[in-house]
Amino acid sequence: MSADPHRLRLLLLQNAPLLLFLVLLGTFALLSERFLTPGNFVNIMAQAAHIAIIAIGMTFVLLVAGIDLSVGANMYASCIVVALYMKGMHPLAGFAVAGGLGLLFGAVNAFLVVVLRVPAFIATLATLFIGRAWALYLSGVKMVPFGKELLLLGRSSWLGVPVAIWIFLLVFAIAWTVLNQTTFGRQVYAVGADPEAAKKAGIAVPRVLFAVYCICGLCAGIGGLVSATQVAAAASTFGFQKEFPVIAAAVLGGTSLFGGRGGVVGTVFGAVLIQTVENGLVMTNADPYVYPLIISAIIFIAVLVDSQRTGMLERLERRKIRPEPG
Amino acid sequence: MPATPLLVIEGLCKSFFGVQVLFDVGLTLRPGEVLALVGENGSGKSTTMNILGGVHRPDRGRMTIDGTDYAPRGPRDAEARGIAFIHQELNLFRNLTIEENLFIGGFPRLARWLPLIDRRRVREHAAALLAAIDLDLAPNTPVSRLSQGERQLVEIAKALGGDARIVIFDEPTTSLTDRETQRLFAQIERLRDKGIGVIYISHILGDVMRLCDRVTVLRDGHVVGDAARADLTVDRLITLMVGRTIDQIYPPRAPAIRPGPPALEVRGLSQRGMVESLDFTVAQGEVVGVAGLMGAGRSEMARILFGLDPFERGTILVDGRPLERVTPLTAMDRGMAFLTEDRRAEGLLMEASIADNIALPSLPRFAAGVARLLERTRLGDAVERTGRDVQVNATDFAATLAKNLSGGNQQKVVIGKWLLRAPRLFILDEPTRGIDVGAKYEVYKIINQLAAAGTGVLMISSEIEELIGMCDRILVMAHGEIRAEIERAAFDREAILRAAMWDSVRHGAAA
Amino acid sequence: MSAVRIDARRGAQGVATVSWLRRLLLSEYLVLLLTIVFVLVMLPVAPELASLETWRDIIGAMMPLLIVATGQAFVLIVAGIDLSATSNLAISSVLAAAVMTLDGGPLAAAPAWLAIAAGILVFVAVGSGLGALNGACVTRLSMPPFIVTLTTMMFFSGLAIWITTLLTDDGSSIGNLPQGFAFLGQGRIAGLPFSLLIALAVCVVAHVVLSRTLFGRWLFAIGINPRAAEVSGVPVRRAVFFAYVICGLCAGMAAILYTARLETGTPVLGQRILLDVVGAAVIGGVSLFGGKGKVLWVVFGALFLTVVDKGLSLLGLSLASMFAIKGGAILAAAVIDAQRQRLLRA
Repeated sequence: MSADPHRLRLLLLQNAPLLLFLVLLGTFALLSERFLTPGNFVNIMAQAAHIAIIAIGMTFVLLVAGIDLSVGANMYASCIVVALYMKGMHPLAGFAVAGGLGLLFGAVNAFLVVVLRVPAFIATLATLFIGRAWALYLSGVKMVPFGKELLLLGRSSWLGVPVAIWIFLLVFAIAWTVLNQTTFGRQVYAVGADPEAAKKAGIAVPRVLFAVYCICGLCAGIGGLVSATQVAAAASTFGFQKEFPVIAAAVLGGTSLFGGRGGVVGTVFGAVLIQTVENGLVMTNADPYVYPLIISAIIFIAVLVDSQRTGMLERLERRKIRPEPG
Repeated sequence: MPATPLLVIEGLCKSFFGVQVLFDVGLTLRPGEVLALVGENGSGKSTTMNILGGVHRPDRGRMTIDGTDYAPRGPRDAEARGIAFIHQELNLFRNLTIEENLFIGGFPRLARWLPLIDRRRVREHAAALLAAIDLDLAPNTPVSRLSQGERQLVEIAKALGGDARIVIFDEPTTSLTDRETQRLFAQIERLRDKGIGVIYISHILGDVMRLCDRVTVLRDGHVVGDAARADLTVDRLITLMVGRTIDQIYPPRAPAIRPGPPALEVRGLSQRGMVESLDFTVAQGEVVGVAGLMGAGRSEMARILFGLDPFERGTILVDGRPLERVTPLTAMDRGMAFLTEDRRAEGLLMEASIADNIALPSLPRFAAGVARLLERTRLGDAVERTGRDVQVNATDFAATLAKNLSGGNQQKVVIGKWLLRAPRLFILDEPTRGIDVGAKYEVYKIINQLAAAGTGVLMISSEIEELIGMCDRILVMAHGEIRAEIERAAFDREAILRAAMWDSVRHGAAA
Repeated sequence: MSAVRIDARRGAQGVATVSWLRRLLLSEYLVLLLTIVFVLVMLPVAPELASLETWRDIIGAMMPLLIVATGQAFVLIVAGIDLSATSNLAISSVLAAAVMTLDGGPLAAAPAWLAIAAGILVFVAVGSGLGALNGACVTRLSMPPFIVTLTTMMFFSGLAIWITTLLTDDGSSIGNLPQGFAFLGQGRIAGLPFSLLIALAVCVVAHVVLSRTLFGRWLFAIGINPRAAEVSGVPVRRAVFFAYVICGLCAGMAAILYTARLETGTPVLGQRILLDVVGAAVIGGVSLFGGKGKVLWVVFGALFLTVVDKGLSLLGLSLASMFAIKGGAILAAAVIDAQRQRLLRA
């Protein structure tokens, strides 16, 4: 078996993001001595928290071979309400509201995609614009400061670890449990692998699909507010184009755009990788205009790896009509 | 023999689009019995099973399970009454583990109020189920790592886990090695010992005779035999399956007395897991039939010849010259045409007009100049003429969409689109599937005309009668190999079927 | 099928209404009709909509969009999509302006016609080159079109901005283009805006290609059923590749008009019209599922979006609310498209 060149190439493709990560770590470490320090690592994790949270939600959608381009708009729309109307209230209430609005936003996407059967990328592209416009209307296209409570929360830490990281860990733990330890979670994988077979196996496919878009919306709301605790105010560009690093994180983490493969552990790795790159670029004083180029190049590589791997797996799994010797 | 039958089917009738496919089909299954259901392709086995599984509703007839009425409204009703299907195409999720596949419909929970999977109970149940079928694998093994045979066994475990009382196997052994087949049979015998009723559908009559207690034979939608194994032999079974009542009419044709030079030569064509060492020739003006059962590799061969699928070894020569890089384009350039088995998916643009469909393969011949502007008048005339030649029944070819035609007319459109290219070699895969008798006759006539004009024809069909009526020579395929080559003088239904069934000797490579 | 069932239940009266509604919904002139209705409704609140000046503006804004959207129709017809058209505008605008500019451009000393010719060459080459990149990723590497073009969109708009910062002091735009170049965007021939003539030419050529040539027929066949097309000898990959090249080429040509109108090369050129590019085609009735589309529909779609845009800005609506309304219009078009698809496939 080891002689099979397909399997070998597959192995290489599976581990490409890890190799990329190591190469980047090495490069940045060489270019800046501040890069490989524990302090900087905590820093990276805290900065990566909101992307990781939203990407965890995105993972659910990608697992059923869907996509949600509206997460950035969703996080703005959900958080602007908290910034405008929830000043002086407990941060927990803020999270409840942001999460609830995010969920609602996700439900709209779910309705368009699952019930009206609009292709996911066009439906969520449209809600991206509509959602952002609604939020801009609410904010009057002005910068809206978040309440002091949120900022205090953002600055506080517990056991030496910033709160953002704790929230991220909580979301991660819940998402991991849902995906791996509930019937629903396993059905998400089944639907993503083969919706027809899933229907035959008695799975309520539309319900699963609807739920994943709602979950993605929920995570966008919560992730947005985590980001809010780290910035003083919601500018009109809050969450702008966040869908890119989010999708990148999930796909880099090994979640396939074609559905059925991946998981939240990989996604977290991907989010950290993306943030590491940004952090490394800052540390090495790279031209900020180069960031988007590098991020998009990384997404490109991740998607390329994904589609090559998918094609290869399909070839390996092709139905045979006679037993192969050996 | 236990007294009350588990399943009784009586007087089942079913028509599709006005064509009756089942005539008073009945069968009885007792607990702890393995009943074989045999018959040629299209004899009504799968329709009967689809009705049993709730996929189709019968026009007439009655089914009972344990003496109570059973009229399923869908696959879930069948499941609820304890019927489990094990299809040739397995329905396992490759990205999940064995145990997850067993419980994907609903896992046991840690507690009623806690929606978490009780992994320990899952593991125990799964281990017990796997032990029951002697599958020595950890329950948390990913399905993607299992062999075809192991996956089949997991499906059985799934059926057992769902407390199935009737398990139906549809051609379970075609892609299994010998050893895997032995294991499968051991498990089926254990199902029988537990009092479960098994319906076993297979073309491999040797297996049937080894495994089953009773055999029900279907032919053309009628039950033509129902007997205990002890009263049967393989020869008797074949005779039952073959005997025909209705004689179809084939247009007369002068057989190629003196075959012309070869239009197609195939030398040692092989592709792992698909076809092995194919060698044959089709002469100009000759009609060569390809017989075989489902999954014998006939369509796979046709797709390879037309460049749609790759091959590892061998040569394809058209008109004596080898095809270098085989793609549909190079094949067509050398005069090949290919009518595919699946009209809907590959034969036609259903949302396009008749005229657009007929024109599609010939478009480059009507494109002029650097801009490749289509000569629309010339194209329109040619399309119109071809459509009339093959007698497509529609008034306006440009306005009628392919999807609105009957099956027979759709097939004529497919034939027409290739005729417009005046092919030198025409590969036809099931050219008369799903079309009525009148249209069949017209298709036969067109094939004869083509042959008379010197085109080589390679015709794949599951109707042996049709091949006998139409061909100069018949190749019989099984397991991706050509098992027999029979000249017109020696045509004999039984001999063909025997070669296709290839029952007693199983594939040697597995040993 | 399902429509028939509904009809039956509603009785004779219902049949008439439903079929009338259906005919209207399925009519290719629906969007034109909606545009006229919109203008009529807006007239009392925005009387400027009747003025010649407004319409000159509308034509000016519509023509480049029309060219981009016509290119988009080619990829939509093969059931693809190109979200990178906006970045294509930006990068070709910046690069071509960099070649043409009199502020230290390589051809600053050369005669103006040479600089302009070189500039146009760059527009066309960059546009179709980017299209070819998208096409290669989709056909050779089997990557999903929307994510490929989303990625190239991000990359090339980033690249356009970066290049501009490298080439200029303030990093916003590259100006001082040769005099004659502006004519392409603002000039007139026989009273007709030059941009209108170019767009017209593009549309006519595109129409002929789609409806009268081998290539056009191949595209529709691929969009309807790529497998059947392949079996019929259509070079599927090659045709899809060229659909993307054409889409890129159209974006490059549109960039000429935009750049000439602004008289500067700027990296933010396309940012506002991401939705409009796909939207003009889809609103016009080009199907996202492939196999269906006409240049005339794209014209209606582009007209609709531009008129709505103008009308709303006359009302003084903010950019954001215009995005919301356009997003809603595109969503509505996509929903209609999806429902139509369901009716067809049922």
